[in-house]
Amino acid sequence: MAASCMHIGRYIRRNERFLRLQFEQFLSIRSFALTPAVHQAAQVHQEAAESVVIPMKKTWSKEAVLQALASTVSRDPTVCAYRFQDDSFLSPRNFSEAKTYSYSLESGRAAAKYIINNNPNLFTKDFAEPHIPCLMPEKVSPLLEEVSEAALKERINLRKVTAAVDMYDQLLQAGSVVSMDTTHDLLDLLCLYGDSDPVQESGPQQEDTEESEQELWSETGFKKPSWRKTNNAERIFNLLPDRDTRCYSALIRGMVKHGASKKAFDMYSELLNNRLTGDVHMFNALISAVPDVRENPDEKWELVSELLKQMNQMSIRPNLLTFNSLFKTLKRCGKLSTIYAPLALNEMKALGIAPSLATYNHLLHMNVHGFLKIQVLRNLLLELEGCSFTCRDPGDNLFFGTAMKACLINNDLELGYKVHSLLEVGENWRLLGAANKQAYYYNCFLRLLCQMENIDVVLKWYKKLVPSMFYPHPENMMGMLQTLDTENRLDLLPMIWKDMKTFGHIYPDLVEELLSLMARDKHNPKVQESFAACALDVKQTFSEKGIEWKSSYLSHVSTVLLRANQCEEAWEMLLIFKEKNLVPSEAVLNSFLSECQSSIGPDRAVELVQLSAAFCLPATSELASRVLVDFNLTESQRTILSQLQTAEKMSD
Amino acid sequence: MASLTSKMFPSVGRINIGRLGLKSPSRVTYVTNLSSNVSSERKGVPDGKGRGSSDKKPPRKSGEPRTEKMSVDQDWTAVYPAAAPFKGNAVPLPVRMGLPVNRGIPPRKEGNLELIKIPNFLHLTPPAIEKHCEALKPFCTKWPSALDTDEKCDQLFPIKVESTDYVSAGPSVRNPAARVVHLRVKVSSLNLDDHARKKLLKLVGERYCKDTDILTIKTDSCPLRLQNYDYAMYLLTVLYQESWKIEAWEAEKTRADMEEYSWEDSPSQKNLLDTLLHAKVAGDGDEQEVREQLLGRKEVQEFKESVTRLKNEGDNESSLQQYKEAVQKVLHL
Repeated sequence: MAASCMHIGRYIRRNERFLRLQFEQFLSIRSFALTPAVHQAAQVHQEAAESVVIPMKKTWSKEAVLQALASTVSRDPTVCAYRFQDDSFLSPRNFSEAKTYSYSLESGRAAAKYIINNNPNLFTKDFAEPHIPCLMPEKVSPLLEEVSEAALKERINLRKVTAAVDMYDQLLQAGSVVSMDTTHDLLDLLCLYGDSDPVQESGPQQEDTEESEQELWSETGFKKPSWRKTNNAERIFNLLPDRDTRCYSALIRGMVKHGASKKAFDMYSELLNNRLTGDVHMFNALISAVPDVRENPDEKWELVSELLKQMNQMSIRPNLLTFNSLFKTLKRCGKLSTIYAPLALNEMKALGIAPSLATYNHLLHMNVHGFLKIQVLRNLLLELEGCSFTCRDPGDNLFFGTAMKACLINNDLELGYKVHSLLEVGENWRLLGAANKQAYYYNCFLRLLCQMENIDVVLKWYKKLVPSMFYPHPENMMGMLQTLDTENRLDLLPMIWKDMKTFGHIYPDLVEELLSLMARDKHNPKVQESFAACALDVKQTFSEKGIEWKSSYLSHVSTVLLRANQCEEAWEMLLIFKEKNLVPSEAVLNSFLSECQSSIGPDRAVELVQLSAAFCLPATSELASRVLVDFNLTESQRTILSQLQTAEKMSD
Repeated sequence: MASLTSKMFPSVGRINIGRLGLKSPSRVTYVTNLSSNVSSERKGVPDGKGRGSSDKKPPRKSGEPRTEKMSVDQDWTAVYPAAAPFKGNAVPLPVRMGLPVNRGIPPRKEGNLELIKIPNFLHLTPPAIEKHCEALKPFCTKWPSALDTDEKCDQLFPIKVESTDYVSAGPSVRNPAARVVHLRVKVSSLNLDDHARKKLLKLVGERYCKDTDILTIKTDSCPLRLQNYDYAMYLLTVLYQESWKIEAWEAEKTRADMEEYSWEDSPSQKNLLDTLLHAKVAGDGDEQEVREQLLGRKEVQEFKESVTRLKNEGDNESSLQQYKEAVQKVLHL
């Protein structure tokens, strides 16, 4: 991925030295020398034996040098996204933090923009040379106040929906005629914003920022205003003496966008009754609205084919968006999609429209069997290898996620690598979409790697991608744990725990898996030490976050601590057992005795047996006998123990 | 009164001591102790608000610096691709900087303002410079192979124009100092005869450096560099043309205007000839003929050379020596 940071350097002094030709004195008296910056032709100066050939000066664009220098830097895998402060305290550590910081950044920016735009008299001096337009105050409120068409145009340009409608009504009342172009623009404005003001109108900018940030982070889109029954757009439309294609088109598209698909089709039939032609945007909207008005797949297809026929009759040429909306509707048509999708693709090729990523995405979503899907994807990638894409359809950003998910489901590692290499071509990373889509893609990729690759490759990718590209989901952590288990690299468990803590993935099953893996086998002392430190860290995190202990956790932690000869901490664990009313297993108590034989005193041992008696464990008697044998006890202790021993024997 | 003042002093002293006591620890540790000070102050506030410190979340701890994750063979040009301030968590070196206080050691790199203030060249390590040079090679053209020595360059391209570009971090890219143009040319490479050379040197005055024989024209009167460059070239042309012209009033050049000393018709010549005539060295005849005859003599020529040299070069060992010898010869001492 190209470097995300391109700074202009600080204080650099660069001396240029032009070498220049001598005067030709014997030619003409008033000869002026030639300027090298302008002169392009090669100059040959005949002198003694050799001729000096000066090569042609190369020219380049303004950014070429910067781009060349930028091509020397690559991505740093340890750093978080550029917009965050690069500091160990201030950078975000998990997904929610990153989201919050991003929102706060945007909110600050929007607040500054709001202040600048609403107080332009305070920001009149322009320091920037050359001029930077986006830093100066923008015109936010309309200047013209009188009732005129120019004022209406101004309000349309500033996107003031209610003000524009008011101005239009005033113009009509005054009796002046509004030109057709302006009416078209007004209708377009109304249909785009669904007859309510865009959110910039409202005072504080929070909604706007959240909206734009939500677009960045989740892309679920804000809740679009729905098409009201008493609508200004419809009213104005009905008031128009003559309505042409553009008016109908604007209204139909607005209705489809804001959910009134039925009305859109009514409007369309009205258009047909008036024997007007449509345009390509209108048909795009109608085709994408078909699933809302028909339930049955067959009916859907019937309506779609009818629309296409009419489009043909009106000799309107379809474009990429037409086909994409066609595919989108076909997705909802069930089995018919397998029949008609290839036909539609051929049509596209015949018309010379190159499919975009959204097309491929829809194709992958068609109702095909998993195996076929992979075939489709494989052929697709063969064709697309090395291509760089631009965004031609709003749905382009879904392709990579779908492709990687398909690879994951079918466990096809090679294909996954191919998809990833396609992503790294040129600027294709921009087509990954919002942060959550990016995270989805990388999650699938990492899970695929965890399942199929060996540990070194997995670790390499893990280090490369986390946390600079995305914050992994809990499934990834589970996948990592399982991979470590299968590849027998359990010494990396503390690293995984550290990451789990940073990302906030402290879920019961994850912790269970982690602790059981740690406690399962005995390892060499160094690894055991690290495990013990990790277990203590787990304990501390539990107490900090107030997570409920389970007996399995406690037993695992105790086992790990005992193996590392940390008897004090292990004793504390047993106390926690008692505190939380959880029952330790016999194995724990036995191992406790055997490991800590040298270090604990007899008092401790007796307490241990008493503890086990309190829990009513059947192993109490054995424990008691062991303690009697192995330790030097005082008389009172002996009696206690023998009591316990007999008590147990009696209860058996 | 007295009692009041006596009460004042101990309290003042106590306050001072108290302040001194608090000051020293906070000076050495820069930022880290601030949170603990703040929390201790909060505990001092009476708990009437009903919020104890135990209900609050524990203060956010600093994460580990990302130097921990860096591998030994990482690409450093990716970490510091361009000029950036010193970031303690990105530079994996155990650097310390600052004044050691109280027999301590210089402070750590985390949050160290001294390290942030100074300019650093972490973005220009030798591998980075190599990469930059490789990337910039396509913009360059090959040096003409015929121009392999400096002398050839000077011979073929005697005029050298110099200008400076300035880049700084700020809202404006313009710098008024960038309009200055220096034009340098060796006067010996111009086609001038004696009169033209002298006239040129008189015209340019201070811009000529005698030791290196370089004429420097510095132009900064126009607002743009191109304008200044054109003006400098124009000035050079005009100087050349004008120095070749001979104006009518140049004939009125007096001895005071001469650049160098010439012995003919000077007081020295007059004095010498008068001296020699009085000494009756030459034969009799017409005074004018005798003078000319004297002038033709070898000693007189030597004397002329030595005086000329002394006047032009100034007093140094060899010229004075030469003068002495010449005088001795002429006056037959």
